[in-house]
Amino acid sequence: MAGISVGMSCPACGGALNIEEGETTSICTYCNSTLFVEGDKGVTTIAFRQKLLKDGATASSQSWWKHGWKARDLKHVGKITEVYPIYLPFWKTTTRVAGWICGYNERRRTDSKGNTTVERIPKEESVFQDYVYSEIACDPGDLGIRTMKNFMGETGFTDFEMIPTFEATTSKDDAVSRSKNDALAKARAQAHVEHVTFEKVHVFSKALTMIYYPIWVVRYNYRERMYMDTVDGVTGQVLSGRAPGDPMFQSVAVTAGTFFGGLAAFAGILLGKNDYRIAAAGVVVGALILLATYRFFRYGSEIVQGEFKEKKSLLGGADLKQLTNVTKQLGGLR
Amino acid sequence: MNVIQVKCPSCNSPIYMKQKDRLFYCDRCNVMHSRDEGVERIDFEVGEFSPNAQGDRVFMPFWRVYASFQLRSKSVEGGSLYKLASWLKGGGDSGNLFIYIPASDLDPGSFRRLASQLTMSNPRYATRLNFGSVPRLPVALSKKEAAELADFVVVTMEAEQPGTLQQLDYTLTVNDTKMVYLPFVRSASGLMPAL
Repeated sequence: MAGISVGMSCPACGGALNIEEGETTSICTYCNSTLFVEGDKGVTTIAFRQKLLKDGATASSQSWWKHGWKARDLKHVGKITEVYPIYLPFWKTTTRVAGWICGYNERRRTDSKGNTTVERIPKEESVFQDYVYSEIACDPGDLGIRTMKNFMGETGFTDFEMIPTFEATTSKDDAVSRSKNDALAKARAQAHVEHVTFEKVHVFSKALTMIYYPIWVVRYNYRERMYMDTVDGVTGQVLSGRAPGDPMFQSVAVTAGTFFGGLAAFAGILLGKNDYRIAAAGVVVGALILLATYRFFRYGSEIVQGEFKEKKSLLGGADLKQLTNVTKQLGGLR
Repeated sequence: MNVIQVKCPSCNSPIYMKQKDRLFYCDRCNVMHSRDEGVERIDFEVGEFSPNAQGDRVFMPFWRVYASFQLRSKSVEGGSLYKLASWLKGGGDSGNLFIYIPASDLDPGSFRRLASQLTMSNPRYATRLNFGSVPRLPVALSKKEAAELADFVVVTMEAEQPGTLQQLDYTLTVNDTKMVYLPFVRSASGLMPAL
């Protein structure tokens, strides 16, 4: 893996040294002296080489137009106006979490007479794992890219002079701090202990790297409106983008969603004459379908993919989760 | 950023090593030091190979943490609780113990296995004066990190006893930390102890 190196001279023999940023020790290739780097050592920096050519980025983008709920005529009417590469900086960290999380989970069981018993299941979970974290190291604007999706590829700085590069503007200390929090959260989620009675977890930052990653930005026109998507310069996958939706899909969704949502609620009420939970479940399922329908209608005029700051999901993930929780509490869908 | 030639803090001789390492070893006066937080001499010892050791020989570094453990209370669901006394010196719920923390860059599984094995059953070995011509694995873990991981190893040993641990109230005080290079040989299934 080639990195950015700092040209210096060996203090023992005067020979030229190439010390990679982030290294603390080095060995002189001329006199074999062991060398130590004092002061700010910087951060190990690497760049991925661009493997995708302009035509490939165009083809990936056009292929993306054909999938999902995008306007059906986009592939015929859409016209690419601009395709250009950029390098985006990312912080990549490896964080080791070592510890134990103990406690218990609860399982509720209801017998045929309606009596509910709560069973307590003790748990002791060991967490000892390395977690890889990445985040963009500059303001991504409206690119819809916040994390790295690929960590494999050829590295080198030969493309650096030809491709515009975004400067890193965020602090490495903040990135390390966020990566530690992220690793801890993942470890806790992995342990899956609902009620924690004892927790002893140690978090170590093992490695920090600045990675410059090549991205193709594709701008296109559809019925006099401008859209944009981004394509991974190594894998060729579309990372993010906005595309026009299709009014016909929205109309069909409203019609079908209203019909099936109403049907589910009606069926629940009809079948739940003797058990309010069935009725409640039917109403909640109906409401969920109507909510999904509304979201599709409301935001379906533009299809959004990627990590946008205020991305509106077509299915409204948070709302869905909230409603699902309500349903679970009612005991209808469990 | 400034690059300096590493010299022995004892005899001031330049140090020559074949690989990058967090610890610097002077083979002239047998002194080891680190520079993580200023120059610090590191107390170390080297274990002798068993005469029957077959295969490529290598020294693996461990931080041997000598700690005092005091257990105030614990709660376990199910099973009978094994007393820490079986491996604590002094018996009862408190005592002193040696905790072995692998200091080279190991995968989590190997790290945990070696740490538990060597701490549960402390290795017995004769020592030798220096490394001779045997290579050693570079140290990737600082002394400070080793002290934190010692805590993890102690809880692991307690949690791995029968029953499900629910609560553990204890104190672990690190009294001393020493670098110990233990002899290993390379085999088809990886590195194997060669004590």
